Amino acid sequence: MPETIFDKIIAGEVPCHRVYEDEHVLAFLDIGPLSRGHTLVIPKEARATLGELSDASAAAIGRVLPRLCRAVMQAAGCSSYNILQNNGAPAHQEVMHVHFHIIPKHDDGSGLGIIWKSGALDDGAALAEAIASAL
Amino acid sequence: MQREQVDPEYAATIFARIARGEAPCYKVYEDAHVIAFLDTGAIAPGHTLVVPKEHAVTMSELSDASAAALGRVLPRLCRAIARVTGCPDCNIVQNNGRAASQTVMHVHFHIIPKPSETTGLQITPSVRWFDDAEGVELARRMRGSLKP
Repeated sequence: MPETIFDKIIAGEVPCHRVYEDEHVLAFLDIGPLSRGHTLVIPKEARATLGELSDASAAAIGRVLPRLCRAVMQAAGCSSYNILQNNGAPAHQEVMHVHFHIIPKHDDGSGLGIIWKSGALDDGAALAEAIASAL
Repeated sequence: MQREQVDPEYAATIFARIARGEAPCYKVYEDAHVIAFLDTGAIAPGHTLVVPKEHAVTMSELSDASAAALGRVLPRLCRAIARVTGCPDCNIVQNNGRAASQTVMHVHFHIIPKPSETTGLQITPSVRWFDDAEGVELARRMRGSLKP
């Protein structure tokens, strides 16, 4: 996998505003924040997408999300927020190293803007069975 | 049913009942802590919800154990959904609070395949850059707020 800016941050070769670090995970402020407090949570394991990440790294990220969310919201003075994790350039992924965004949604409207067009689920039973079988 | 029309209290009850096996769903996965099923208001084919059996409204309220169990199963689910839909790209979204578009008041991750620009999650970005001093101060306050 080609080296990304996040590998350099993990290696300490590029500085960051570090918020949290353990054996598997690093969290730091996004330098292009969508809102005040926008934080990135990344695995130290170098993988481009979540589908490629080990169960251990994924569990380590999951485990620290509640604590980080509480701390980010307390510091940002905010109670609503979105967690976003993009996989693949067509899905808006820009740095090809897995990262979770924690994005406060402030009263002034700053934060993640999403467009949500609900559709219908016509083939639910067959689709669920196909996905369960593929696990 | 349109997502906007879902009454949050009703929906929370439905999620809890699904997690307890008392209400039907298009189930994809289940273990001791987690259940995953298809979103009936899918915004893309394969749109799946991953829900902890523990009841918590937001991620901030969830136990570390449930959060770890959710995290652990996401890669497997992403791979299975990609294989079945034929779409390698996807967005993971988890909304907390009404202002952040949460409509069902029980923690849930969305896994949403992104087959085209106009299908799946659409993001309207607006970036605000901060200066170095602001970043130093904000990171310091967050480190100070990190309690187990």
